[in-house]
Amino acid sequence: MKDIFTDLYNKVLGFFRQTEKVQEEENTKDVACNRLKFVLMQDRTNLSPELMDRMRKELVELLSKYVEMDKEALELGFEQEGSQMALMLSIPVVRAKEEAEIEAILAKEDEEKLAKSSEDDAVSESEDEIADKSDEVDEESSDDEVVSDDNLDVELSSEDDVIEVSDSVIVDTEEDLSSASKVVENKVKEKVKAAK
Amino acid sequence: MTALVEKEIEEKKETETKSEKEEKGDIMSGRVIVVTSGKGGVGKTTTNANIGTALARAGKKVVMIDTDLGLRNLDLLLGLENRIVYTIVDVVEERCKLKQALVKDKKNPNLCLLAAAQTRDKTAVTEEQLKDICEQLKKEFDFILVDCPAGIEQGFQNAVAGASEAIVVTTPEMSAVRDADRIIGLLEAKEEIKSYKLLVNRVRPSMIATNDMMSVEDVSEILSTPIIGIIPEDAGIITSTNKGEPIVNDDKSLAGQAYSNVARRILGEDVPFLNLDVDTSIKGKVKKFFSGLFGKEK
Repeated sequence: MKDIFTDLYNKVLGFFRQTEKVQEEENTKDVACNRLKFVLMQDRTNLSPELMDRMRKELVELLSKYVEMDKEALELGFEQEGSQMALMLSIPVVRAKEEAEIEAILAKEDEEKLAKSSEDDAVSESEDEIADKSDEVDEESSDDEVVSDDNLDVELSSEDDVIEVSDSVIVDTEEDLSSASKVVENKVKEKVKAAK
Repeated sequence: MTALVEKEIEEKKETETKSEKEEKGDIMSGRVIVVTSGKGGVGKTTTNANIGTALARAGKKVVMIDTDLGLRNLDLLLGLENRIVYTIVDVVEERCKLKQALVKDKKNPNLCLLAAAQTRDKTAVTEEQLKDICEQLKKEFDFILVDCPAGIEQGFQNAVAGASEAIVVTTPEMSAVRDADRIIGLLEAKEEIKSYKLLVNRVRPSMIATNDMMSVEDVSEILSTPIIGIIPEDAGIITSTNKGEPIVNDDKSLAGQAYSNVARRILGEDVPFLNLDVDTSIKGKVKKFFSGLFGKEK
């Protein structure tokens, strides 16, 4: 008797679950749109998911010096707004840091940098070649992306109890990147022209 | 007597055309439009044949160039496959003059085709040579439509070389939209291309109504490119290809109407898009059922 009831219960439950699932899956158009937007951003920016992840980690590292934030809830992605592409970063802030706290972290970092550069100097004095190479690497990495400062807005907005830092950065890629990224470049240029 | 009158009329016509020519500055300068897509099978050649035919029906002098060397099909869609004597390769290799290679359409004397060679590959014609052919044709025709091969390799580069406008053909499918995005990126990098527009082909209004297909607005937004045409999926495209006659010649066909609207937009007219919305209400369905029962279309 009990078996019959549980069986019936499961069947009824199963029926409702199924209909729910069907309703969720029905809208394949939105699935297509979202997948396309994601893949086109990768195509246009030449940033693979691995690179995006690395960028995200580096940003967390940098920003957490100044604010305490929810690292798991950080959202990073490109968004198309008309012919302009924007890098959107949204971070829920858990707590504002004390001034002294921030200063302490920065002071510590400066010290580390000083120590490192003096070490580097010592090395470069003895081995010039290595220093040259590291300079080259530095140059390359800084050439990869040029961010135009004029268009950078950083704003703090309060949503519910969480303070959110959102920043919109326009990425201007260098010419030596492949043609796919030229799209971004051209689109950005167009927008800048229009703004002028 | 009648012969004399005829002569007079002819003379009048001549003077008229002369004055028209003078108004235009004696030399015609046609618009070179490339029809491209990236992905194959989305309807580039069909689009080319139909827009070309529609423009010719509107009284414009039109020449179509098939640049899909080795895989030519434009001749089939126009029903001209048996009339081709010389191809674009013969022109380039100076076996004939450009004018000799132009095949006139069966119905419309305003319409010409410069066919691709079927036995050669994409390297037989260079970018410079195609540019040169376009420049020569500009003097004689109002419109030069270039049918581009699929892909983003040399064939695409050649086809785009002489053009200043582009129509990017896509369908509301992911792969076609992604490839169209690549093509748009490449077109943007070309200084010669002054404008490009999107033609969304094979649209199924019933699937869009049930959210099972991206809408034309979705596609336009994702590619951030303006739309020049929306062509519904139409079985008539296949039957018209079977006959070798572009569907714009069939005034009853919805796809044919959509194509002639594209041609009118190219000519600068402000034509609203066809209403392809499907009536999904119960009333509409009942109406459709009954009209179907009594054999009434629409």
